[in-house]
Amino acid sequence: MATASAINADDQVRSDLWRPLSGVSKKYVIVLAVLCAVVLWGLFAWGYQIQKGIGVAGIRRPVFWGFYLVNFVFWIGISHAGTLISAILRLTDANWRKPVTRAAEAITVFALMIGGLFPLIHLGRVWLFYWLFPYPNSRLLWPNFRSPLMWDVMAISTYLTGSVIFLYLPLIPDIAQLGQRATGWRRLYRLLSLGWTGSDREWHALERAMKLMAGTILAVAVSVHSVVAWDFAMAVAPMWHSTIFAPYFVVGAIFSGLAGLILAMTIIRKTMHLERYLTPLHFRNLSKLLLLMSLLWLYFTFAEHLTTWYGNEPKEMNVFNARVRGRFAPEFWVMIFVNFVVPFVLLGIRRLRSITTATIASVGVLIGMWLERFLIIIPTLSMPRLGAAWGKYSPSWVEISITVATFATMAALYLIFAKLFPIVSVWEFETHHVEEE
Amino acid sequence: MNGGKEAAFYLKADLQTKEAAMAAIRELKASGFNTNDLDVFSDRPVEFPPGVLDRPSHMSLFVVLGAMTFSCLIVGFVYYTQHDYPLITGGMPIFSFWSTGVVFYEITMLGAVLTTFSRFLWESGLLRRNRRIPVPAVAPGTICLRVHCRQEQLENAGQSLTRAGALKVERLAESA
Repeated sequence: MATASAINADDQVRSDLWRPLSGVSKKYVIVLAVLCAVVLWGLFAWGYQIQKGIGVAGIRRPVFWGFYLVNFVFWIGISHAGTLISAILRLTDANWRKPVTRAAEAITVFALMIGGLFPLIHLGRVWLFYWLFPYPNSRLLWPNFRSPLMWDVMAISTYLTGSVIFLYLPLIPDIAQLGQRATGWRRLYRLLSLGWTGSDREWHALERAMKLMAGTILAVAVSVHSVVAWDFAMAVAPMWHSTIFAPYFVVGAIFSGLAGLILAMTIIRKTMHLERYLTPLHFRNLSKLLLLMSLLWLYFTFAEHLTTWYGNEPKEMNVFNARVRGRFAPEFWVMIFVNFVVPFVLLGIRRLRSITTATIASVGVLIGMWLERFLIIIPTLSMPRLGAAWGKYSPSWVEISITVATFATMAALYLIFAKLFPIVSVWEFETHHVEEE
Repeated sequence: MNGGKEAAFYLKADLQTKEAAMAAIRELKASGFNTNDLDVFSDRPVEFPPGVLDRPSHMSLFVVLGAMTFSCLIVGFVYYTQHDYPLITGGMPIFSFWSTGVVFYEITMLGAVLTTFSRFLWESGLLRRNRRIPVPAVAPGTICLRVHCRQEQLENAGQSLTRAGALKVERLAESA
């Protein structure tokens, strides 16, 4: 287990992976301050909406779901980056996953927290959110469990609980190591480590729990995005009432989640100098997965549109035409370009495949997937079955501010997390290192 | 003797390789120690072949039971809430499996998740650790074997550990 060179290598690994936790650079403070300023602006916009009422948002009859629901679906999709990908890689014993999983799992937790906020923002009267919870009240009313909105509450609560535990469990050994030398407020690590000693009973229980959690969380993750898809598919609205919506959404979620993960890894690699740990191999493997998901996404998109076109049902065709050659055509073709053409060229041609191209493709996919969510929600709501009820939607400054702020929130939470906990699992990386030797 | 209990002693042995740890465990088991007397400490998981230091687990069973319990509770709760208000439905059923199936599924999975975590805390011993039992400090990259023994076993255990290639064998603070 421990030759002199192995111990030196271990020391190097620990020093490299724990280095980002010590000290705060000026650059870090500036970036965090800018992000916090954007977040505060978003909170101000939300506060303004709470004070003035939901009318300050651009949502009007018939488009009652605007940017807020687009963001909700987008962030829930991004949350599939971590837990789902990490769970699949854990269950298949893919060894290369070890430096990647924690970065991915953290994305899940933060994206879910952000995504879960949007239904509350969309409520308008956010202080009444607790009406969704089943509690005995004076009017003897219970929530309607048959409503897809209740499904969302249940699905997201379960997924968030599971994802937090899935992130926390493999963190415990690393937190215990950090706690050993901790002083001041960092003594909190000792509390969080639950008294972990590194005994074989603890390791066995951890490994069993992670295996079981991986299986469970996989099933939950698939169900969560299916439920989000059913929010739409249960309505008999043009281009929503589709049986393939659930798998289509799950594929899109994994696709955008992977893109989010690659982007996060590139930034971590560069800013935390983790080039030795997040190697081109990791990017190459994730790029192949991204390419696969791009093709799957194209297949579903094509199937969805082909069926509608061939059916030629007038109400459906209104939405179809608006998307493909009408007022939403620019967004539609940009979506196809960045979700399919860019990844296909940059990642499909082996000579072009690199960390830079994977990052470019990922940024494109993130934009494309946000547009996809927009194109699913807005055209259908703008053109309901009753022609006289058609309307237009343009987001207000409040919605735009809150949207931008959520991206800043994600970045800020990630930055803070990476300062408090090792973003690459130290013990898993060491084990992987020893296995490779 | 303390409070009617037999005094317990702990030996700690530092071992450099997994093979040495396996040899030490086998020696100790051959001389009458059982797996409950032995604990291996390391800064990363050490996998032993079956039969060396097995730790039987009922985690999967508990997870299934936890999921089933949550499932029954949510079905009962939803059924109760849907019948709690005397709604006139003209004889039509009010409890619908199809539209509440998602809620049942999610809460069943929540049961599995929470049971996994609780069972992890239980099986790892984190929740029920006796603070008086000494925990050896482990140097990075090494394996440490802690042996729980009675006074008359101390010498025998020490010899077994040395034979198996322990770098250092020392006695940890006693507890009652």
